[in-house]
Amino acid sequence: MRLSEADSHALAGAPAVPDYLHDGTTVMSWLNTRDHKRVGILFLVSVTFFFFVGGLFALLLRLKLLQPGPFFMDALSYNRLFTLHGIVMIFLFLIPAIPSAFGNFVLPLMLGARDVAFPRLNLLSWYLYLIGAAVALWGMIHGGADTGWTFYTPYSSTTPTQVAPILLGAFIIGFSSILTGLNFIVTVHTLRAPGLGWMRMPLFVWSAYATSVIQILATPVLAITLLIVTVERLGGFGLFDPARGGDPVLFQHMFWFYSHPAVYIMILPAMGVISETVCAFSRKNPFGYKAIAFSSLGIAFVGFFTWGHHLLVAGQSVFVGGAFGLLSMFVGIFTAIKVFNWVGTMYRGAISFKTPFAYICGFLYFLVFGGMTGVALATTSLDIHWHDTYFVVAHFHFIMVGASVMAFLAGLHYWFPKMFGKTYHEGFGLVAASLIILGFNATFIPQFLLGNFGMPRRYYQYPDHFQALNVASTAGATLLGFGFVIIVIYLGIALRWGSRSESNPWGSKGFEWLTDSPPPTHNFDEIPTITQMPHDYRTHEPSGVIRVT
Amino acid sequence: MSHEAEAGLPPGILAHHFSSLSRQNEAMRLGMWLFLATEILLFAGLFTGYAVYRFQFPEAFAECSRHLELTLGTVNTLVLITSSLTVALAIHYARNNRRHAAAVCLVITILFAFAFLGIKAVEYTAHFHERSLPGKYYAFEEVKIPGAAMFFSLYFLMTGLHGLHVIAGMVVLGFILRHTLQNRYSSRYYTGLELGGMYWHLVDMVWIFLYPLLYLI
Amino acid sequence: MSESAPPAGRPTQALHPDDENGEHAHSAVPYIVVYFALLFFTVLTYLTGKQHLGTWALPIALVIACTKSALVALIFMHLKDSSGSTRLVFGTSLVFVALLLFFTVADVATRFHPATPAGAPFGTERSQPEGLLEHELPE
Repeated sequence: MRLSEADSHALAGAPAVPDYLHDGTTVMSWLNTRDHKRVGILFLVSVTFFFFVGGLFALLLRLKLLQPGPFFMDALSYNRLFTLHGIVMIFLFLIPAIPSAFGNFVLPLMLGARDVAFPRLNLLSWYLYLIGAAVALWGMIHGGADTGWTFYTPYSSTTPTQVAPILLGAFIIGFSSILTGLNFIVTVHTLRAPGLGWMRMPLFVWSAYATSVIQILATPVLAITLLIVTVERLGGFGLFDPARGGDPVLFQHMFWFYSHPAVYIMILPAMGVISETVCAFSRKNPFGYKAIAFSSLGIAFVGFFTWGHHLLVAGQSVFVGGAFGLLSMFVGIFTAIKVFNWVGTMYRGAISFKTPFAYICGFLYFLVFGGMTGVALATTSLDIHWHDTYFVVAHFHFIMVGASVMAFLAGLHYWFPKMFGKTYHEGFGLVAASLIILGFNATFIPQFLLGNFGMPRRYYQYPDHFQALNVASTAGATLLGFGFVIIVIYLGIALRWGSRSESNPWGSKGFEWLTDSPPPTHNFDEIPTITQMPHDYRTHEPSGVIRVT
Repeated sequence: MSHEAEAGLPPGILAHHFSSLSRQNEAMRLGMWLFLATEILLFAGLFTGYAVYRFQFPEAFAECSRHLELTLGTVNTLVLITSSLTVALAIHYARNNRRHAAAVCLVITILFAFAFLGIKAVEYTAHFHERSLPGKYYAFEEVKIPGAAMFFSLYFLMTGLHGLHVIAGMVVLGFILRHTLQNRYSSRYYTGLELGGMYWHLVDMVWIFLYPLLYLI
Repeated sequence: MSESAPPAGRPTQALHPDDENGEHAHSAVPYIVVYFALLFFTVLTYLTGKQHLGTWALPIALVIACTKSALVALIFMHLKDSSGSTRLVFGTSLVFVALLLFFTVADVATRFHPATPAGAPFGTERSQPEGLLEHELPE
């Protein structure tokens, strides 16, 4: 095992270089940091907090849904809660989580850079996130919106609930997202280490790059759409209000032009994490590096051509709807390419069934089934039956939670030793993963059935004969919640009392593992010149394992 | 000696994580173009609304357009185009180490920006008086067909957002003027000035489209 | 920390093509030429606009506006001398603007006609009262 830089420093008699966690321990050194690793940690803490806030809202909703009639809360509160659940989970967790928490941390390390291109903009990105969250929270505390996170007009432009602060909060958070994307793109173009050509970049970087392209191109359209709705609320402009001669479907076009590519913002980084961890835990070179890399760009590009599948029953032209349905099928092709390549990577690999790998298994299962239901939903004839039912709810939770959150957890466990230099308890990791995968299935498979049987989404009350499935779903949600709480507990224990980890406990060939764990502030003593391929396991290992691909 | 001092630059220009100034310049330019791309997409949303409603109500849009002050709109177009020239000249002079000429050009640009806003204020006042206002406030006696209020909703949204960007652009120009007077820019390094100029050119480009689409239907 | 520092006395190494280091004075002539071209096109669009050329009016106006913008972008904003990646960024943003415009207008153009927007009725009162939930709010 190679000596860590810290140990070789010590041997050479040089003064110990503190790692980034201990290089300045005051609160101000964190709040005023230019270090991408610290910004990543700041984001990690923030998104985790909001994940639990959004999760709490979900549990409250599921509690109400135990009973078909009025129970535990009134209808207006129910409407507010599902709105806030969506807003918090999407804007405060899913969109920023993997890019801003893990991406910020590992991207420069993977590229052999000392930092992202614009470190101060990076910190600003975090502050914008917090300010946007605070503004939205203010709105939530003062009653919150009851429009659903999709803010459809004319309800959102006329309802008396606190829509404006939440729109403003989302607007500000959008800029946080844009700045992160901007930073990543410029970093990839200008800060790659010598020898690190585009075809040598780790697969996570490809995914992060594709994500950033979407963030740049799509987010501003959301910004202007929310701005127009705010102006309509305050000034009665009527662009989206049919009572003033406007077109509510126009709102939906502009909203989904962002929000459909947004789901690719949520899944592409997750796919990047999976690419990294599949190679590391199969100890094998990626099967089809170029296919995985280019399919990331393909998803980003084609994802922009599909937004009208959210408008299939909204009054949109049937011709345009048909076109969107067809185009939506193409995105499935790129996802399938990735799934086949990941499975091909695992085939004949030396599988190390650690906690991240458990999440990989969950991810693959949920991505495939969630994705296939998505393709089915994009067919107008089927969507007529399923639109605005629990079938859609189950579909997107399969992808957003089943795939995205699993990948987030895989990344969290994979990079935990890199970020904190500590080891967590593997047994608890596997237990939590099992609870989460089981609990997730128990929560959302009943919802596919409910939706197919016709139960509408966002409804406070439901017919009695749907109760059994709803109770099952709530039971599953409770199990799921337990799983997440267990993770926080054992990771918290590991942070405080965990044993010191090695620099590269997984034996991963990822470039970020060339540094110490945790890395020093400046990342590298000397900027490395990269000569090897990424994820290259075709070498002699001290343990005697030889992999030939 | 820090590596920026070796490159012969004043302190605070070259960041530690860039290996050379040219890399950093490349990064700054790319970053600015990415930001401008977001601004283009921001306005694109409004242009989409415009396209939809103009397609639906071509006569109303044409009629309302005839009631805008074409002379003022044309003057404003010339003002912005000239201001683009002056800001381009400011960068040109800075590259040729003519600091004071650059500063004068920036001041002229800012004055043109004020002129633009002043003319827009005159136009908006006229609209208030004749009640050609957006959405629920529309009460313009001379055009009473469906789609007319929609034209003015879009007119105010588009020129309003553009006006906000003119103000933001003036702030940016103010910053780069201050840096020019502080001798920050020279033939060795003028990227900050260039980036500020690029933002101003974007503001001009948006108006280049707004003018025919609003005033010349 | 030891850094691979540029050798002293060679600060001009690896300069970008348009970082000329002032060895030859940069010319302002392209800017003046473009300025007069922009003035010309502005006059042109004004004159063609006043002709009210029917269906051709919009395409002509857009072509002129695109030409003016291209001049501003290429010459004033130095896109002509910029790297491929910056040109790709600008070009890509235009492609996606076109995408947004195309499908949205195509929808309104081919929709079932009664589902298209009606334009504001001249009486500016809303046909339904605002604040639909006012009576339900606890406060």
